[in-house]
Amino acid sequence: MSSSRPLDFLSLGAWLILIGALLSLALHLVRPTPERRGRDFWLFSPPNLPPYLEAAKSWNAAHRDPADQLNVQLIHYQALERRLVAAFTADAPIADLVETESQAMARAFAGPIKGVGFVDLTDRLRAEGLFDAINAPSFSLWTSRGRTFGLPHDVHPCLLGYRADIVEAAGIDVSRIETWDDFRRVLAPLIQDFDGDGRPDRFLLNFWDNNFDLIEMLLLQAGDPFFDADGYPQLNTSRHARTLASLVSWIAGPDRFCVDAREFTAGGDRMRIEGTVIASILPDWLAGTWKTYIPDLHGKVKLMKLPAWEPGGRRTSVSGGSCLGITRAAPDVDRAWSMAKHLYLSPEVAEAHFRATCIISPVKKFWALPAYRERDPFFCGQAVGELYVAAAPHVPLRHSSPYLSLVKERMMAILVSLKATAIAQNRFDADSLLPEARRLVDAAQADIAARMDRNHLYRAR
Amino acid sequence: MSSAPIHADGDARAGARRNLRSAPPHSLWAPWAFLAPFLLLFAAFTLWPLGQSLVLAFSQTFGPKHSAFVGFDNFRFLLRDPLFWTALGNTALYTAGSVFIQLPIALGLALLLNRPGLRGRAVFRLIFFAPSLVGLVFVAMVFSLLFQSRTGLINSGLHHLFPAWDPEFAWLDRHVMASLVVATVWLYAGFNMIYFLAALQNVSRELLEAAGLDGAGPWARFRHVILPEIRPVGGFVLLLSIIGSFQAFELPWVLLNNSAGPDNRGLTIVMYLYQTGFLTGDLGYASAIGWILGLLLALAALLQLRATRSEGN
Repeated sequence: MSSSRPLDFLSLGAWLILIGALLSLALHLVRPTPERRGRDFWLFSPPNLPPYLEAAKSWNAAHRDPADQLNVQLIHYQALERRLVAAFTADAPIADLVETESQAMARAFAGPIKGVGFVDLTDRLRAEGLFDAINAPSFSLWTSRGRTFGLPHDVHPCLLGYRADIVEAAGIDVSRIETWDDFRRVLAPLIQDFDGDGRPDRFLLNFWDNNFDLIEMLLLQAGDPFFDADGYPQLNTSRHARTLASLVSWIAGPDRFCVDAREFTAGGDRMRIEGTVIASILPDWLAGTWKTYIPDLHGKVKLMKLPAWEPGGRRTSVSGGSCLGITRAAPDVDRAWSMAKHLYLSPEVAEAHFRATCIISPVKKFWALPAYRERDPFFCGQAVGELYVAAAPHVPLRHSSPYLSLVKERMMAILVSLKATAIAQNRFDADSLLPEARRLVDAAQADIAARMDRNHLYRAR
Repeated sequence: MSSAPIHADGDARAGARRNLRSAPPHSLWAPWAFLAPFLLLFAAFTLWPLGQSLVLAFSQTFGPKHSAFVGFDNFRFLLRDPLFWTALGNTALYTAGSVFIQLPIALGLALLLNRPGLRGRAVFRLIFFAPSLVGLVFVAMVFSLLFQSRTGLINSGLHHLFPAWDPEFAWLDRHVMASLVVATVWLYAGFNMIYFLAALQNVSRELLEAAGLDGAGPWARFRHVILPEIRPVGGFVLLLSIIGSFQAFELPWVLLNNSAGPDNRGLTIVMYLYQTGFLTGDLGYASAIGWILGLLLALAALLQLRATRSEGN
């Protein structure tokens, strides 16, 4: 038997690993964790960052106390979403102020009102007259059971962006367009087959049955939100059924005038640049995106009111939305509220924001800002801000629900199914598709309601 | 005859016990000390969440911090949830496509590369393997561009070659699963080819030569010599492909632009789990879906194990 020395049971390499591990552990324990100073504000939209940094600078210059300093941090949306979930489920660290969007807020609203991870701002908004100062529809997404948890960031009204160079060269006067039927009729001469293969090579509108954001915009424009103020689904309305049935002839059949030119894709942008598609529904944020990412459209595009579903109907819609919420983790809610107002109720921020993104503020008194009246050469010298501001008071109401993504998928599926039915029966008019549309929206309503009712806790809230 | 191995086994165990008694004390705890970091991490990040997800599967959640025990309610609802069955059907179809199309292609490529005297074998191997070096998201983005109607390379190429071809042919609308399988084959065929190639290189040359001398043709050699020899690796690759296909998420999610595609034609089980748990926030129901998926995969692994054992016997 050989006598072993005490250190022999580990090899030299293993000892090195062990010592390294112990040293790094000691270093980690000894090294002080940097103390968090000031209050954090997280956002996910890169174009929003520069105006907020400027606003933070002015805030920090006026508030020298380190505890009052405002730290602005840009975080990728998915990361922000995960951090919110971690904070609300497991009390993980979170910023005092968070700029977030509807889906994340809807999830936060799933529980009892007292369990919502954001501070209830209703009384502050009422006491300071902000419910009157801010465009009313902008609150609906951030309100649950009568309580409001977010300061609205935007309105996001929709206009129609169209290729003015092509339309005007054809001698078409768009002021004759009031409804979608007018749109189809007036612009019909632009649908052309350039290569003689018997298929059109130019279409009037970017819309397709796989694009649930556009389907949502058009359904909201028609008049009915997907959920009522209590979050209960209302999918089987006559208006939803008729709108969906009407959309079929937009994408299939002899009178088709739409094409799939999806935003944020190279192919879609190419179709816009080449004039394969004449018009697109443009919320204000998308107008800003076009300016930044499709410079080839400079001076070729104009904006007009969205055609209505019927004469005298709504000439706009709404898409997307963000708000500023104060998390319950904020140690000083009053201070956080002051910061929130400094960020969101500042005309300088609103102006800088509009210049960078075309997004108009929901604060009504800012609608007179000079920036909104400036002529924009990208949009053929139109005052883009004014056009969006004129549409802002008319945007449709939307209500928040964690089931929204499911509902959007379902509405998309209904349109796909209706299109298949129309093609199979070779009948594309809304009247003949209406019974099937009614059946499908009834089934969707029953299914979504069953899913929501299944959750005893959600039902009892 | 039958008692000898038992004695030998018994002797070995007794010997091991004697060795343990006489071993220095650190020999007893040293293995546990080495295993401890893994065991701790495994317990914290696998066992504990697994247990929690099992508890969640029998609960209904309401907002981030409220849940109630509902017994088998989630599972009962799952059985009559048309979306779950759609997802299961789509996933099964995708798995079948992946397995029955991808694996034969992988094996065919491996057989081609295993031919004696082939020049540039390493280059071909790299070319076939290269797709799996790029990420799933990248592949999904590339194929979403390729399959686009009107501007996608496939449609515009076909339209140029055959003017009657509809440039708006909607691959990602009408043929979601076929498009997914094509992307998967491109991505993984080369990866699985490497397994098959390694197995083929271990096939006994003597056996092949002997079969040849006995008059076996190429098909007979493949059928009766090569296939039995590579069967263990084939079984392993098959199991990996089934598990990977049942877990499909990133590829369809990105390819279909963060959705399940028109009429949920691209909805997979994991996609449905994600939508339920992380978009709708119903973590209890999502956990139930996760456990059903886990059971399905365990069943597949069990069948594979049985098949391998029966072949061994």
